[in-house]
Amino acid sequence: MEDNHGGASLPSGPDGKKRRVSYFYEPTIGDYYYGQGHPMKPHRIRMAHNLIVHYGLHRRMEINRPFPAAPMDLRRFHSEDYVEFLSSVSPEALGEIAFSRHLKRFNVGEDCPVFDGLFDFCQASAGGSIGAAVKLNRGDADIALNWAGGLHHAKKSEASGFCYVNDIVLGILELLKVHRRVLYVDIDVHHGDGVEEAFYTTDRVMTVSFHKFGDFFPGTGHIKDTGAGLGKNYALNVPLHDGLDDENFRGLFRPIIQKVMEVYQPDAVVLQCGADSLSGDRLGCFNLSVKGHADCLRFLRSFNVPLMVLGGGGYTIRNVARCWCYETAVAVGVEPDNKLPYNEYYEYFGPHYTLHVEPCNMENLNSHKDMEKIRTTLLEQLSRLPHAPSVPFQTTPPTAQVPEEEEEDIDQRPKRRIWNGENYDSDPDEDENPRNRSPNVGFQSAPTTEMRDFKDEMEEDKPEEHRPS
Amino acid sequence: MAAWSIVTNGSVLDCGENVGAYQNNGVTLHSSRNSVEDGVDDDESYYYNVRQRYYFDQVLSLFLKEIAEPGILRPVPPMLGDEKEVDLFKLFRIVRDIGGYDRVSKKRLWAFVAKESGSSGGATAAVKLIYFKYLNELDKWFWERCRVRGLGNGQSGYDENFQFLSLELETEFRGLLSDGSDRKEKDGRFVHLESDSIEKTELCLWDTRDAYSGFGKCHSDNDEKFKHDNYEGLQKLNLNVNKKGKEWKRKRESFSGMLKWLVQIAKHPLDPSVGTIPKPSKWKEHQGNELWIQAIRVRNALLLRRHINSNTEESPLQKKLKMHPSMYEDNINHHSAERLRCSGRVPNSSRVCSCCNSCSASQHTLMSPRKLELEKDLKEQTPEEVYLSAPDIEISPPADEALQGQVSVGPLFQADVPEWTGVVSESDPKWLGTRVWPMDCGEHKSTIERDSIGQGRPDLCGCSCPGSVPCVRFHIAEARMKLKLQLGSVFYQWRFDRMGEEVSLQWTAEEEKRFKDMVRSAIHSHNNEVFKWFPMKTRENLVSYYFNVFLIQRRSYQNRATPKDIDSDDDETEVGSLSEGYGLDALKVSSYEYLSCPKNKQCIDLELT
Repeated sequence: MEDNHGGASLPSGPDGKKRRVSYFYEPTIGDYYYGQGHPMKPHRIRMAHNLIVHYGLHRRMEINRPFPAAPMDLRRFHSEDYVEFLSSVSPEALGEIAFSRHLKRFNVGEDCPVFDGLFDFCQASAGGSIGAAVKLNRGDADIALNWAGGLHHAKKSEASGFCYVNDIVLGILELLKVHRRVLYVDIDVHHGDGVEEAFYTTDRVMTVSFHKFGDFFPGTGHIKDTGAGLGKNYALNVPLHDGLDDENFRGLFRPIIQKVMEVYQPDAVVLQCGADSLSGDRLGCFNLSVKGHADCLRFLRSFNVPLMVLGGGGYTIRNVARCWCYETAVAVGVEPDNKLPYNEYYEYFGPHYTLHVEPCNMENLNSHKDMEKIRTTLLEQLSRLPHAPSVPFQTTPPTAQVPEEEEEDIDQRPKRRIWNGENYDSDPDEDENPRNRSPNVGFQSAPTTEMRDFKDEMEEDKPEEHRPS
Repeated sequence: MAAWSIVTNGSVLDCGENVGAYQNNGVTLHSSRNSVEDGVDDDESYYYNVRQRYYFDQVLSLFLKEIAEPGILRPVPPMLGDEKEVDLFKLFRIVRDIGGYDRVSKKRLWAFVAKESGSSGGATAAVKLIYFKYLNELDKWFWERCRVRGLGNGQSGYDENFQFLSLELETEFRGLLSDGSDRKEKDGRFVHLESDSIEKTELCLWDTRDAYSGFGKCHSDNDEKFKHDNYEGLQKLNLNVNKKGKEWKRKRESFSGMLKWLVQIAKHPLDPSVGTIPKPSKWKEHQGNELWIQAIRVRNALLLRRHINSNTEESPLQKKLKMHPSMYEDNINHHSAERLRCSGRVPNSSRVCSCCNSCSASQHTLMSPRKLELEKDLKEQTPEEVYLSAPDIEISPPADEALQGQVSVGPLFQADVPEWTGVVSESDPKWLGTRVWPMDCGEHKSTIERDSIGQGRPDLCGCSCPGSVPCVRFHIAEARMKLKLQLGSVFYQWRFDRMGEEVSLQWTAEEEKRFKDMVRSAIHSHNNEVFKWFPMKTRENLVSYYFNVFLIQRRSYQNRATPKDIDSDDDETEVGSLSEGYGLDALKVSSYEYLSCPKNKQCIDLELT
């Protein structure tokens, strides 16, 4: 981004910017291990990276190894004694009285075990997210990815839900150095309680969380929890039920985020892409396809606001890798082939070895009535916000239905370029392939969809009709 | 419970007493066994009688409590002038058999009544008076209460004490009052009750609730006593149950069996006859109606309300929700007793519930806070809820107000967000990390990048057995070669050299075998023991081998042998593997033939071939 003051460009017109994507990857991340039987497996990040590279997506990105965040850096959010504890605890030291006393206090034990290399893991995760923020701050990138981040449950002085250090809060704090307002969007199946709590009383960060609510971890995220003090109405919670499908999700996500972008006009957006909202997750209970999940990223990307994309939950690791690989492709503007390339972890993706998987036919407990009610409530809450200065009030399109053209227009550019192999800029129009773009057609169409090869691209290098916007 | 404790008789209300003790307690019982009027000859009638007496005494105590006025003492049992105690139950039955107070008076049968009830002839007037004072009023009072209850059922305002008059009791007592000398009539009545669905529901419930009253009552005592009392209470309950009419026997017995089972576990936690209990994850789908699942359902139903209640006050339970609740339970060596014990009771004794404010002060002093809490929970449990929960626990949507507003506010919780000044502060460039890609200099080989970005694998391959393990291994090796050329040093920086089955090349065959054995045996053991098996390997080595070799081999087996049942994320399941180790043996994998018979169970342990 050349200017950080440009604000949101609404997807009403052709988006003339290519995206420069920066990606943080710590090569040792896959060898951290929470313990036997623990569903959180950092190995999934390595699997995602492996797929990304075998698809060749790295060629459109700048890839960095994160700088490990020091205890001092973690203290920008976390309390001193908690950081001290994390940095000094180890499985061997657990027996010591000094530590055992702290375990309960910091909620370390069951969900959040002390494992070998715990602090290194936290440092890598946080370092990646802070790095991603700095990338955006400096205007070096339009989108910054860190799949090792997104650990949204960690509290100021407490571990929670497999999260110890809240890399998101640290990343947002870094973004706030340069950006006036930051929007945080959370599509993990669990409520983003740690981030919400951290910014509950400020209007400089707006948090929006879509999550399963009701007899589910962490128990927070009621629709009526909207923030406090200065932050009143700057926390949005979208409580959902089991079996949420792509259509449901899109019908809520798009209108709400559209309105948020209009009203709040964030200078930067952080998207937590917890993959446990996917169908078939070991802990989650939603029924989203990879495409439905990635649609959130696709939509946020279209606003052309500096965007940080983070990982999060996700406990069926093959699907996590699929999802984050696909979302990386969306970020760089490529529609990858459904047939997975051969890769080291190929066998994990059997028996079909495809990128996309079918959502199951589980019961959807989200009625249209509920959805409508939630949408109305939240849009109403949003309308109570003061509009960003110097932006005239405008009527929103009917909220139930976001114009389909957006999807088509997001990535179009008047002039096509051929990848020259020398920079990592993504060239978003290269994925502009009408065969691939029919929204809400599941993966079924995907097997027939081939990524155009070099030759195709040449052939298509001709003036394109622009759809009216 | 509160009411029970005031009864002087003592034989009636000690929940922990079994029937045998009951009989020896004497005061009220002696005569009934030989009583001619009742025609009690066989055991069944005897127990029937005992049971009726039991209910009678309970109702009586409630009644006395209810009508008690200051200054007026009604000692139980009442005594005649000759210091002879009057058996109220017997008296009641005799009078009722004749046709009630009015009828006895009219027919001038009080002398007969006095004689029959074991009093001397001179006490006729006294007996009549006692009947009038105690029993006639009781009769009226009871029916009045039933009427009030019928009207006010489900409302919070109705009389506290009367709640202790369980519906079961009520029904029994009704039966007692209404059945004449004709036993059949009574049976008919029960049939009638049975058909009334609400009654039925409540009756089922009360079995459990009685048992829980036992829990509550004895909670402050030591465990031994607790168990003992409870056991006996349950025994009595079972006895009652067994003597019921056929129509509700099934239902009630099902619970009584469960309670018996529970008692058995409590007494002998390690008894193998208790049976096994599946993993918690399987509970929901469980279709059967075994004792353990009944117990779990009852427990869930009873706990449900309590949890929701506590949420309204504060959120500690909420906060302690586990992200993966079954994770820790699955590995426990199931002992049902343990399971029930640890999760069944939520100790929170400091809590004082609001509804108990209505209790009298004396009750407060009599009961521990723990009791109050339990009582409250029991009271608030509507019968329907528990009943519904038996087949499938339905969690009612929590009240809106209950779950919102749980976000903590204060400097201990929020991040320190500076105000926007417009002054941009510099970020430390260290955060940019180490740039790995794109590579800086001439290492970049653009000629290789002929493949378009996002391309998948080709449709066909020239292998003789497409899709087989060797075919896949071959193509993966091919892809790795290509990547190595493209990436150059970055291949190593990203540790691609430590990805995939190639990792196993750094392991000896013996080590690999040991790893497999360890994973098998470690399924239920603690993670830290892993290092004892491999003192030479680091944590990274082990984890890397697990994800890069072990799981891949397991998955390649699953993909071919059990394609409908694949799972890379369940550490607990154990399956075979399709091939020998990677490396030297990779090319002469013989297991390919087995692919043609994926359903053959013998495939399960192909690694032995």
